[in-house]
Amino acid sequence: MKKQALIVAALFAATASVVAVLATSAGGGTRSASAKPITIGISLSLSGDFSDPGKAARRGYDLWQQVVNAHGGILGRTVKLKIVDDASSPNQAVSNYTTLITRDHVDLVFGPFSTLLTAPSARVAYRYGYAFVEPAGGGPAVFQQKLPNVFFAQPAPVINCGDPFVHFLASIPTSKRPTSGAYPALDDPFASPIAARMQGQLSHKGVKSVFKTIYPPETTDFSPIVAKMASKHPQLVAAGTQSDDAYGLVRAMIQLKLNPKFVFLSNGASSALEFPDKVGRSQTDGIFSCGDWFPQAKNQGNNQFVAAYLKKYHGSALAIDSGSAEAYAVGQIIQAVAKKTHSINNKTVIKTLHKGKWPTVEGNLSWNKYGAPKGSDILVEWIHGKLLPVWPKSLALHKPTYPKPRWH
Amino acid sequence: MHLVVQAVILGLLTGGVYALMASGLTLAFGVMRVINVAQGALIILSAYLTYTLFVHAGLDPFVALLVITPGMFVLGMLLQFVFIRPLRSEDREELSLLVTWAIALGIEGVLSVVFKTTYRSVNTGYTNATWDVGGYTITQVRFYGFLLSVAILGLLFLALTRTRIGRAIRAVVQNPVSARLLGIETERVAAVGFGLSAATASAAGAVYAMVYPFNPNSHYDLISLLLTIIVLGGLGSLGGAILAALFMGVAEAVLAATISPTWAKLTFFVALLTLLLIRPQGLFGVKARGAI
Repeated sequence: MKKQALIVAALFAATASVVAVLATSAGGGTRSASAKPITIGISLSLSGDFSDPGKAARRGYDLWQQVVNAHGGILGRTVKLKIVDDASSPNQAVSNYTTLITRDHVDLVFGPFSTLLTAPSARVAYRYGYAFVEPAGGGPAVFQQKLPNVFFAQPAPVINCGDPFVHFLASIPTSKRPTSGAYPALDDPFASPIAARMQGQLSHKGVKSVFKTIYPPETTDFSPIVAKMASKHPQLVAAGTQSDDAYGLVRAMIQLKLNPKFVFLSNGASSALEFPDKVGRSQTDGIFSCGDWFPQAKNQGNNQFVAAYLKKYHGSALAIDSGSAEAYAVGQIIQAVAKKTHSINNKTVIKTLHKGKWPTVEGNLSWNKYGAPKGSDILVEWIHGKLLPVWPKSLALHKPTYPKPRWH
Repeated sequence: MHLVVQAVILGLLTGGVYALMASGLTLAFGVMRVINVAQGALIILSAYLTYTLFVHAGLDPFVALLVITPGMFVLGMLLQFVFIRPLRSEDREELSLLVTWAIALGIEGVLSVVFKTTYRSVNTGYTNATWDVGGYTITQVRFYGFLLSVAILGLLFLALTRTRIGRAIRAVVQNPVSARLLGIETERVAAVGFGLSAATASAAGAVYAMVYPFNPNSHYDLISLLLTIIVLGGLGSLGGAILAALFMGVAEAVLAATISPTWAKLTFFVALLTLLLIRPQGLFGVKARGAI
């Protein structure tokens, strides 16, 4: 009996030792060759209409994977990305996420590119209890779904893009503020709501609205629109633009010599490379836009991100697409949750992200209960041919300059 | 009133560019009964060639035309030889839609791979230059584009009326069977016609590159606009296409300036539908062949 007890005790001790060794190697933060990689499923637009921004997001994801694995992975496990192409189709994105979750049993999923694909994909993730941290779905369609698993990895929802400009205008002496405003906007869910929101905010601040129009996406000739706008002599033009329409508007304003004191373009003018190429660098001075990321930002890990990006992809810091930074931020968020909770369980991730602030290359992010960020975008301005953050003051690299110089 | 007059000026200049773009399309239909929905893609291809020569060789778009136009002419003949000629003549109108759409998608795909989907534009020293005439603004680049349109369309008219191949083209348009009986090689004429049609795309592309930002997808908006113009003007009628283009340019500009840009597009299509109900052959089209 005594002998049997000794044998049982010895076996117990041996088993306990093995378990202890295994537990140490798995949870102790050191890499183990036998630990299963963390697989993260992502659907991206690598072909089709959104292939360029989709590939930019891929660069950000790949870079994050490389950096995180070089530093020991997450919870001692290497990170493996399973990226599949959705051809810019919402249906394909839904199908991809369903497959990634139900067939491939990925540990986590990250978001695709654009609101159009994010909204339906987030519902799939919700159905299976997955957290959905996503880099590019900032339109109302995403947040109106009221899904608790969504977290948009940018400082502010898309339609709040004009807020910092309005705050900046409110901060300057009354005598220097514009008294009249014009609000042309593209008929697009990411453009016209921005102009409408700014019009409402500025009207409350006493800026008389003298012109408003919404033009269809197929508009190529902006001369008639600008001719009418010029006839109203606005001191401010705040336009809800996307890309080519921003270039067209500016070129028409130059040609028809419409010289307002302030020009704000929600998108298109925020591209450091594309915008000067389309309208001429010398004509960019004094034009405002908004942005969520810039290379010189002093946000968490931004220097490391820029350095790693340039090492891997080459080029210049100005040429880095903000879409890459947004995707990188998604990875940073998950990394931070794992570090804090020692878990990558989706329930834990969702619960944890609803509290506190999460430092990323996009700034310190926090969200409301449906994933809309609570922060503010950055006001950027073209000054001496360079695109610089000018507002809020804490992030500014230059004081805002106004009034806008005349076209030449 | 000042605004309306300014809009008319802007619209006429834009309409001139539309006319240049639409002329190739109506020529292809008039000569071969081919609805060439690849015409928009050919224009965008020319815009990219113009952009490439401007950026990498420093060639002014108007000078670059001397290089691009012959190339596009040859490309047009090749396309006709490879894709259009094999189509059975009795099904040509219907099948040409599918075949030329495939060509358009092919061109778009190649451009997307080579140039990505980023918007491009050609900014010459005179891109934003204007003249002030009596308080009205005339943009120089559009005015040059308008002059180029007039010159190209004039040359096209002379080629069709004063040259042997032009007379052959018109003969084929009016009666292909009789033309063949008279010894005209109709397939050769068709190839030249398609080549001419593609050659007009080179000039249109050069102007387009200077006036508008473009990417490989730009041909979708372009082809719907051009088809509308040639239907309005009368399929196969060169004069009709020119007048319809000018009308469209002016109507669009005046409505956009006085009512709204959205209504400008909508009203035009309403007018087009109304016209088709009253006069199905378009403003200047005829019910039988031979309108060019």
